[in-house]
Amino acid sequence: MIATIASHQVLSLRRQRVFLAMLATLLTMTALAGVLGWSSHQTIVRVYDEAVKLLASTGKPAPPNPFLLKPTLSLLSNMVVYIPLIGALLALIVGHLSIVDDETNGTGRLVFSRQVSRTSYVLGKIVSAATVLAVVLTASLGVSVAALLVVNRAIAGADLGRLVMFYGLSWLYLMVFALIGMVTVLMTRRRSIALLSAMGAWLVITFVIPQFTSGLRPTQSLNPITDPASTSQTFFKVTSKFRPYSIVEQYKQASGRILHTAPAESFGHTVQRVLPIAGLAAVLVLLTIRLVQRHDFSRSANSE
Amino acid sequence: MNSPVIELRGLSHRYDTDLVLRDIDLTIEAGEIFGFLGHNGAGKTTAINILTTLIEPTSGTARVCGYDVVSERRDVTRCIGYLPAEVRMYGHMTAAENLEFFAKLSGVAEPRKAVAETLAYLDCADLANKRVGAFSTGMRQRVGIAQAIVHRPKVLFLDEPTSGLDPLGVRQLRDTILRLNADLGMTVFMNTHLLGEVAKVCTTIGVLNHGELIYKDSIEETTRRFPDEASLEDIYVRMEAAS
Amino acid sequence: MSDSTQRIVTLARHEYRSAVRSKILIVLLGILVAVTAVSVYIASVDYASKLADYQAYVDAAKASGLDRIAPSPLAALSLLRGAFEYLEIIGAVIAIALGYLTVSRERSNRTLPLIRSRPVTSGELATGSLLGALGVIATLVGVTAIVGVIGVGIIGHDWINATQALQLLLAYLASIIYMGAFYCLGAIATAQSRVAANGLMIALGIWLIVVLVLPQIGDTMDADNQIPGGLFKALGLGHDGEVQILTHFTTYERIRTWTEEASLAKHFERFTFAMSDVKERYRPFSLPRLLGQTRNDIGWLIAYAGILYAGLRRTFRLQPTIPQGGTP
Repeated sequence: MIATIASHQVLSLRRQRVFLAMLATLLTMTALAGVLGWSSHQTIVRVYDEAVKLLASTGKPAPPNPFLLKPTLSLLSNMVVYIPLIGALLALIVGHLSIVDDETNGTGRLVFSRQVSRTSYVLGKIVSAATVLAVVLTASLGVSVAALLVVNRAIAGADLGRLVMFYGLSWLYLMVFALIGMVTVLMTRRRSIALLSAMGAWLVITFVIPQFTSGLRPTQSLNPITDPASTSQTFFKVTSKFRPYSIVEQYKQASGRILHTAPAESFGHTVQRVLPIAGLAAVLVLLTIRLVQRHDFSRSANSE
Repeated sequence: MNSPVIELRGLSHRYDTDLVLRDIDLTIEAGEIFGFLGHNGAGKTTAINILTTLIEPTSGTARVCGYDVVSERRDVTRCIGYLPAEVRMYGHMTAAENLEFFAKLSGVAEPRKAVAETLAYLDCADLANKRVGAFSTGMRQRVGIAQAIVHRPKVLFLDEPTSGLDPLGVRQLRDTILRLNADLGMTVFMNTHLLGEVAKVCTTIGVLNHGELIYKDSIEETTRRFPDEASLEDIYVRMEAAS
Repeated sequence: MSDSTQRIVTLARHEYRSAVRSKILIVLLGILVAVTAVSVYIASVDYASKLADYQAYVDAAKASGLDRIAPSPLAALSLLRGAFEYLEIIGAVIAIALGYLTVSRERSNRTLPLIRSRPVTSGELATGSLLGALGVIATLVGVTAIVGVIGVGIIGHDWINATQALQLLLAYLASIIYMGAFYCLGAIATAQSRVAANGLMIALGIWLIVVLVLPQIGDTMDADNQIPGGLFKALGLGHDGEVQILTHFTTYERIRTWTEEASLAKHFERFTFAMSDVKERYRPFSLPRLLGQTRNDIGWLIAYAGILYAGLRRTFRLQPTIPQGGTP
């Protein structure tokens, strides 16, 4: 039964134009991340060369080139920004679409007037979201590997392993938003309110919480290279204690460590950063199951 | 004597403080085509929601095909088919894809074959590979009935099945119900407002008024009991006025 | 008041009243106001201590008889940087939601035929709806402005003067135009979609690209952003050195500029940052000179808003009064 519901949902998503548009956007941005990474690197190296010439002409010494030791995977450092932006929105849509039609079309009544348990239903939906996101991220991984091969002509086994780990972490991160998409449908009776609520949650997680815990302004969150904000105030003595629970910050920090684009730390420390994300995903799975078990599918919700 | 296929005993249901079904006792025998009548908000849809296991009654019992709708829910769902009011199906999928999905959920062994046979039986095989989103109300209704019978249930629940249908669609629905009853022995439980159709299709009627079952008898007996009334509509209006 | 104006005012009032009754909108507004307050608070506390340091320097300099005292490097208006960034991001989402609700409300209530069967033109409907939405947006912007200014005054201990107030007023007017453009986008996308919620998703997808992705690409391509604190600063070069080096990269810079020019959000950001003294090099400029420097951004803002308003009028003119088939 779980497999039937999951495979039906995957087929359904493949037909939804909005989902396909977001998927195309994510894959395009993955390719663009590679292009941008390469182009920026080439340009910055040339900027440094020109700066050395200019400084030499004025008799000033040139500082060492900060880019010579840039790790290979820094080419894809923008993915650390695109996943929480485009990927999370895609995941919200996947989660939203997986339940909303049964809510608003009345097909929930057709499903539950058959021998389908609530638990099988919701597990099928979660499995379908997990599968779709896994396929999407695998495609993105493929594009990333292609970009690396084009630029570097080879990819080391260790780098490939790191890339796979990064995408595995990204899958876990995106599952949180897919589950948020489902939860908001189950908690509201209107399609639009569900979507806007999910967007509100995404805005709070992605921009508002980092402001509270780390003083990061919204546009600072968009740059993979962030100038640390001043957090010496009393306000942050309290709020910075919640930084470990700011999943977007933990995701970016863990991703930076995995891709070697951030200062190294122990593997255990990186795993610690992932725990709040996994914990939130687990809580949301339980919440979704609970909400489906208690939900009244006998009445159609407002389709607007 | 066969046990009734639908049996309600002291059935009541409450939404918050609103008592929408009050102590209903009702039995329907196998092979009947039962028309459930009542004003808007009388509780007809709530009764169907309970019988199709979508909600649990506040008190009392309901049994379908001999199984309790609460404690033996799965067994009930194996023997029923349900067409709710205003179902839109999955618009971006074809009729066949919609039906295969529901057939699989009903545990049909060969879903594709069952879907093809059902569509052929309902004379809408040409709709199989077309997307439901583009269908007219009548076409969607036929696909809706198809999903309700694809697994050959013993009991068919229809909630306002004529809603939005043109006169031709209403006639086609009537013929379909009569054929299902004659060919497959299906018991039909139908909520409807179209009393003219009830008179032509149903064998038995029940009237619900503000959650109370105020009348239940065969069409034959009903017309004999009210000889002065010209039509079933007049009989119904008289019952409503009396209560 | 002419009949047409009367109808437009009626529609605007209807739009305003309906919008302020929407719970989800109130929640989003609440989030925006709260986060604006926090952003201003954080910046103001830091500013207050720097201001105290500067005041101590001034007192010490005067006490030791110095004639020339260095001007304050501080700019009170720049404390509102976070507030404008939130308007840029969250404000645009709120505006899209408003546009979506305008169309979906009439569709789900089936009231569009009731409106259009009266002597109301599609242009009046578009204009009235937009004016009502601008009223809601202006209320929102006004509240965030008050929170910001009071925050700067009370926590940062630096009340703004008349010139600064005028700059701020222009920045907030630009915010209203900016959000008005996104309102039109939300309404157009919803009206064009058979399923209204799909229109909302499309509008949010466009928002993502225009507000977040395009500026991010521009920032990524900016050489100066490659090192925390600035590349040119790390190389010991000032603005002149930066300009001199970038003359060797005109094509690259052109592509980067075009990418940023395509983003309405970037123009909004540039204008509001100029008006709120965020960019240090703009601080010495008078208001007329500031407006001259940002005329390109003003032009783009107005052009985008104008095009989207025209699109809204056209969409309402072509929108079927009774939806054909499918889901409402």
